[in-house]
Amino acid sequence: MKNRIASILLTTLVLAVLVCIPLVSGRFTVYLAMRVMLLGIFAVGYNLLLGQTGLLSFGHGAFYAAGAYGMGFFWLHLSPHPLLGIAAGILAAALLALLIGFFCVRHTEIYFAMLTLAFGMMVFSLIWNVRGITGGDDGLVGIMRDPITFFGLVKIPIQKDTQYYYLILSLFVLAVWVVRRIRISPFGLVLAGIRENTRRMEFAGVSVRNYRLAVFVLSGAFAGLAGSLEAMLESNARPFMAHWTHSGDPILVSLLGGLHTLTGPLVGSLIFVAMREIVQRFTENWMLWFGVVLLVIIMGFRGGVVGVVRQLAEKARGPRGG
Amino acid sequence: MGKILLETRKLSNSFGRICTARDLDLGFEEGVLASIIGPNGAGKSTLVNLLTGHLPVQSGGILFQGRDITRLPIHKRVRLGVCRSFQIVNIFPQLTVFQNVMIPVLARTGRSWRPFAKISGENAVHREVEDLLEKVGLGGVRESVAVALSHGDQRLLEVGVALAAMPVLLFLDEPTAGMNPVERVRLLESIRDLSRGGRTTFVLIEHDMDIVFSLSERIIVLHRGEVIGDGTPEEIRANDRVREVYLGDEMTDVFRITEGE
Repeated sequence: MKNRIASILLTTLVLAVLVCIPLVSGRFTVYLAMRVMLLGIFAVGYNLLLGQTGLLSFGHGAFYAAGAYGMGFFWLHLSPHPLLGIAAGILAAALLALLIGFFCVRHTEIYFAMLTLAFGMMVFSLIWNVRGITGGDDGLVGIMRDPITFFGLVKIPIQKDTQYYYLILSLFVLAVWVVRRIRISPFGLVLAGIRENTRRMEFAGVSVRNYRLAVFVLSGAFAGLAGSLEAMLESNARPFMAHWTHSGDPILVSLLGGLHTLTGPLVGSLIFVAMREIVQRFTENWMLWFGVVLLVIIMGFRGGVVGVVRQLAEKARGPRGG
Repeated sequence: MGKILLETRKLSNSFGRICTARDLDLGFEEGVLASIIGPNGAGKSTLVNLLTGHLPVQSGGILFQGRDITRLPIHKRVRLGVCRSFQIVNIFPQLTVFQNVMIPVLARTGRSWRPFAKISGENAVHREVEDLLEKVGLGGVRESVAVALSHGDQRLLEVGVALAAMPVLLFLDEPTAGMNPVERVRLLESIRDLSRGGRTTFVLIEHDMDIVFSLSERIIVLHRGEVIGDGTPEEIRANDRVREVYLGDEMTDVFRITEGE
């Protein structure tokens, strides 16, 4: 009960802070907050695959890129409506995830990871080389943020960063809520069972492969959402979104924050973006320092930052048996 | 004679030159609690692995309720009603006892594909899981994480997870291995009750001859991939070939000496 109240309070507090950021802080902070939320969407969806199902993919950058390019093409060729563009981005990512996942989920562990890596890099070189369509290394540029309209009646402008911020915030909240629901659903329990004991899962009468594919597509869709939002934020889609180094981000962030929690990847995203900004001011090699932090967490605090905080909280309450 | 549930047709398997199943023609009848025994390496586990889909069938066929299941993947056999438990505890270690048993129930009732339903709202499933836990005697530890259970309780959970799939035919691979005598008796009694309940037909793979002879209505003796004895406990006791294989020339109180493997 106490836990529940604490988590409601914390959620409200975080939401309040997020809502207030554009009102009280400068442009740069607003921009960073948006980057944190984008990475958060990417990572929280990805963690359905890694933390919940126990599958390590090195290719989710491809779906992120599919979201961005899907959004970009839709904007260029079909309609400038932002929400439809986002839907197109998600759809593109999900379809690509379905195609790639179909081949990958037949394998497990290292073979699965390597296959996703290979497919991801194939998508990267495809984007890089098909210059005529994708713009090659320049990417797809000039994507604009047109107002959101509903049947010509309502018109919500998102041109300014402070306006666009609230679109990202809404979708971020929605994404986290959806992932939370999935984690506590029967489907989520089956995913956890696959992580715990794949063989036994089959003897429970579950077609493991289909569930793996489903969660692969789901996490791909979240990557697509994040990608399409970034395309509008930066007004471009770049091939490096599909690069394996980008696919690594949600893994690092999940490890940093804590694999087995909903909030882990979110906290991880915050730390990741903040560290990058701060450390980059002092040194070029920010990855070196990030590496040190990651090392400490993996060697000493397996539960990630969120895990450590929880343990401390429990210890503080400990003697009374909370 | 009851209806034949599962039938094998010239089922064979070998690992390299070691033959673990040779032209097996076996039938398992509905409601008859059978046991499969045999010395180590006789092919007991191989047989169960073949029947449940763990091992691909090299030659021969398997029919379940008249349907060819020779090439069916594991989960589809389970859905049809062929399930098993494992000799080495094989549960979901970091999930609670309740969740362990809940997974097969969700899968069986077709409720596992819903990503937006809340588990806490599944009242029918909850009741069923509670019933099952009471049956196997784990009602008191339902919220414990499986890995934290005692060995005996983990064995019970192993059987509970298998039962939760509500199989028509259930193979229990040494269900009492490593249990203390009290737990053992308790588990065997619940198996006997469940077997009489008639919903599930049990097939035991056992080393403990006391259990086998007190519980089974039919005993199948395997040796090097072949059936060397198949009949009621009395028939098996009187079977010369079985005595020979099991005991060599030691001829005392037959089936008590086989445990020290």
